[in-house]
Amino acid sequence: MSVSSEAQPVRRRRPRRARAVDERVHYSRWFWPSFTIPATIWLAILFILPLYTVVSIAFGTVDPIFRNALPVYEPWWWSGEQFGRVLHDSFGFYRNVYIHTFEYVIVASAICLVLSYAVAYYVARYGGKRKALLLVLLIAPFFISYLMRMLAWINLLDTNGYVNKVMSFLHLTSHPVDWLGGRPFTVVMGLVYGYIPYMILPLYAFLDRIDPNLLEAGRDLGAGPARTFFRVTLPLSRPGILAALVIVSLPMFGDYYTQNLLSGSPKTTMLGNLIDEAVNSTGQGPKAAVFVLILMILVLIPMLYYMRSTARSLTTR
Amino acid sequence: MDPKDLSRRNFLIRAGATAAAIPTLSAILDACTKPGATISGSSAFQIARPDNPVTLPMNGEPIATDTPIEQGATLEILNWSVYMWKYVLNQFIQQQSGNGIKFSGISTFNNMDEGVQKLQSGKVKADVFFPTIDVLGKLVAADLLQPLNHDLIPALQQDNWAAFQNPYYDQEWRYSVPYTIYTTGIGYRRDIIHDDVIHGMDNPWSILWDPQYKGQIGVYPSYRDVMAIALMKNGITDLNTGQDADLEKVRTDLLAMIDATSPLIAYDAAYNKLPKGKFAAVTAWSGDIVAAWGYNPPYTQSAYQNVGYWFPADRKGPIDNDLIAIPKNAEHPRLAHEFINYWIAFKNAMNNFSWNGYQPPQTKADVNALTHEQGLYSKQSSSWAAPTPYVGPWQPDAAVRESDFPIGYREGPLPADVDDRWHEIWSEFQAGVGQ
Repeated sequence: MSVSSEAQPVRRRRPRRARAVDERVHYSRWFWPSFTIPATIWLAILFILPLYTVVSIAFGTVDPIFRNALPVYEPWWWSGEQFGRVLHDSFGFYRNVYIHTFEYVIVASAICLVLSYAVAYYVARYGGKRKALLLVLLIAPFFISYLMRMLAWINLLDTNGYVNKVMSFLHLTSHPVDWLGGRPFTVVMGLVYGYIPYMILPLYAFLDRIDPNLLEAGRDLGAGPARTFFRVTLPLSRPGILAALVIVSLPMFGDYYTQNLLSGSPKTTMLGNLIDEAVNSTGQGPKAAVFVLILMILVLIPMLYYMRSTARSLTTR
Repeated sequence: MDPKDLSRRNFLIRAGATAAAIPTLSAILDACTKPGATISGSSAFQIARPDNPVTLPMNGEPIATDTPIEQGATLEILNWSVYMWKYVLNQFIQQQSGNGIKFSGISTFNNMDEGVQKLQSGKVKADVFFPTIDVLGKLVAADLLQPLNHDLIPALQQDNWAAFQNPYYDQEWRYSVPYTIYTTGIGYRRDIIHDDVIHGMDNPWSILWDPQYKGQIGVYPSYRDVMAIALMKNGITDLNTGQDADLEKVRTDLLAMIDATSPLIAYDAAYNKLPKGKFAAVTAWSGDIVAAWGYNPPYTQSAYQNVGYWFPADRKGPIDNDLIAIPKNAEHPRLAHEFINYWIAFKNAMNNFSWNGYQPPQTKADVNALTHEQGLYSKQSSSWAAPTPYVGPWQPDAAVRESDFPIGYREGPLPADVDDRWHEIWSEFQAGVGQ
């Protein structure tokens, strides 16, 4: 069925230009929704099906010879035994791992935010013609793979590494610091280093779009620089902050390389390490899948908050 | 619709449909039996133990002795990473150049599960595979290996220890030959822990729990080996135990280790981090300790001498060996036999040992001489490294003897329920809660 925009009741006044375009062209009812088909197929293949497989493994079984994970796709055969056991242990000895994971991710995301905001603010407001150059320079080290950068840090943070040498030279420490000896600080710093560019970019994109006239208006109304920042810039960049936090914190929750390479201590084990260990252990595939599901549920909470606040900010515009 | 409203015509249609559906439904229900419940082979898989040797069933016949070497073939190897010296491998390829044999590279895996998966999925059509003892029976049960032709591998009887002519895990060596032998003990820094200190301890296994080395203890990310050491510390020699009391002791000890020494988990704990001074003591396979000199800058003898190895003086400790086998789907089985025969022959096995650090069970090798004879790799490395014998004289415990095998303790495959309990304890250790 084909309907013109004139035939539909318009609740709010729409921009004249858009209405003019709609009036001239008649679109099929399925024209605009059809744009979502490629992404829908893509999601169905690469998200929903793998997710269902993970669920089927979590509630599935293992083969009796090699004990490889055997997904059970028929829900009527699902067993909740493994899920129940992991859930029970999650309130037991795994509890610390959950606490560590949340602590590290929250602290690392907060540090990322403070550092990235300052950088993104500077580039957006004062970068001038050098904006692109500054962004490229900031991101250049991250062209190297995450794993390689972490391996480089192992040498730098070693007891005989340059970090300790510089600290000794500056008389900041009398003994070399054992950075790689299982310190939560090192893990958090590793996470910050690994994920900070993913925070700078969205923040920059949001801050760069803030209309300078709004800031000038704030100043004209008598607000000082700090007041203008807190009353105008910061509220306007809130969606950007939330988006950047989501982009950065979600992969941090599943990270296991950073802990493996920069610590290796059971005292700093994160949820990602438990998944990694279970995936690579004979007969533990269903346990790995259960951890994945629990992690998904846990990260859904901040995701829902993000979606709610994004929806609210759209309706208040 | 009320049943009384059912017309004769409707009744016939529905009856016909039901009659057609019953066999189909039956087929569907038949296909819907619980996955995993009907996989064959599980009953055929026997768990081998030294006191319960296993003769694996023959899956077909070995290739004929007069089978010619495949001409122009590309040798495919599936092995652990960094576990064979390419120099020795290239010499084999050169030797086979008359047959047009080529070699493109080794397909590797980081753990046995990954290796088995690559083999199972057919992603890698390997001619030669390097399994561990605990999966050998499973591989045969799943029909993934082919029987060996003994006539094509004379080096086994000529050069290898008699113990491996008829091993408990593969009686009559139907599917496997031994690759390397090793013990699991304690690697330590001799400049931090003196030899007489560790050798003088009542229970040297407990050094991993000594609080004076807090932050300087490393363990492998290998639940079987770390838990085996906890068992040894408690004087429990059944390294495959499923006893609740034994496992509870292991659990308590592993959690106590977290509190006492804050151990770090690292796969390169012994061969890399120990020589570099990161750790004072680590769980160690003898082969890792022997190979450690190659990771020990500045590659001087004084630096090498810092790495020591302890294993019980009565030689009663964890001991094992790895294997070589030929996959069922090998495209060049004759070439694979040729390669195995070459690889376990005395000279080639020792050359590989000089690089690899993992000792082969060679009859012609005088174990007592290993601590003063220089291997080929050390000779070749003279431009950048100080000469070193096969096994450092300061780590004699790392040399493995044939007499060690009858008295050593073996880690074998575990029954599924026992394995799950071992994993549970390891998970608790990994979670780092402590006691």
